[in-house]
Amino acid sequence: MSAAAPALAKKAERRIVVVRLADAAEAVAFVSAVFAVALIVFPTSFPHLIVSSWQHGQLMAVMMAFTLVLDGCLYFRVAHLLSARPGLVAAACLGSMPLLVVGGLSILLQAAVKHTLALDLPNLQGRVGEEILAHTYLALVAAVFLPFLVIRLLQQFKTKNV
Amino acid sequence: MAGWTSTKWLLWISLYVIPGIFLPWLIARTWNHQHGSSSKFSFKQLFRRGELGLLSLILASSVIWDLFQSQFMPHTIALSSIILAIIGIMAVNVWVETYCRQHSGTDWHPERAWRDSRSLALSVFGMAAVMEILLDRFAKVVAQ
Repeated sequence: MSAAAPALAKKAERRIVVVRLADAAEAVAFVSAVFAVALIVFPTSFPHLIVSSWQHGQLMAVMMAFTLVLDGCLYFRVAHLLSARPGLVAAACLGSMPLLVVGGLSILLQAAVKHTLALDLPNLQGRVGEEILAHTYLALVAAVFLPFLVIRLLQQFKTKNV
Repeated sequence: MAGWTSTKWLLWISLYVIPGIFLPWLIARTWNHQHGSSSKFSFKQLFRRGELGLLSLILASSVIWDLFQSQFMPHTIALSSIILAIIGIMAVNVWVETYCRQHSGTDWHPERAWRDSRSLALSVFGMAAVMEILLDRFAKVVAQ
């Protein structure tokens, strides 16, 4: 057996990456800071961009792609920092949950918009725009945080049952 | 460019940051000075058991209360309240878990508790700021 063999064997047995909620929380804080700055610096054009992309049906696809990439990058960053290998369950979770969350919340937004339009209220267009803006932000936060929360809970469940 | 007049959320959030973070730190420094102690507490030392988690939950509850007072649709209020509550509960969980670990003699890591509570507190503060901006914008739209 060569000298490099134990090292290679050890490398092959690298433990699976353990996710902490702090990792996702930092990403949520970053997304919130960017969103807040965009709202303050561009109080008209940024909401208009979001509302018009929702009206053209592009918002959901963009958000899905963004959260998928962000979650993936975050997970691989943690794996790299801990020198651990990515787990299959976590990969499945990160691959599906952002899409499910954004898709589900998009249906909720449709319901909220329908409900708003059904009411006889003044400045309906403005109200709908603000609802879209709020849902966009909430969907971003949920799609970043919830997959990591599920992974964390699964990890704890697995640890208790081992 | 900017509606800098609509930055009252900054004042609102500082009502939590000043008494919740800076005041305890200032009191600790004053106490050390009065008692001639040479040790100087940093924020990290003062909140190393995850106490920021408790402050985060209080802040999250306050934003949830504001949301209930708003005229957003029930869907939006429910969604934002649930997300804020989940992150707030996870933040306070860091503090409780650290306390339980320390109390029961299980190994606890102040570095980890500080990092987790700081990151979760930052996320709650960020969310609170954005929600207050959105609430402020919505109130203006309703008033038009």
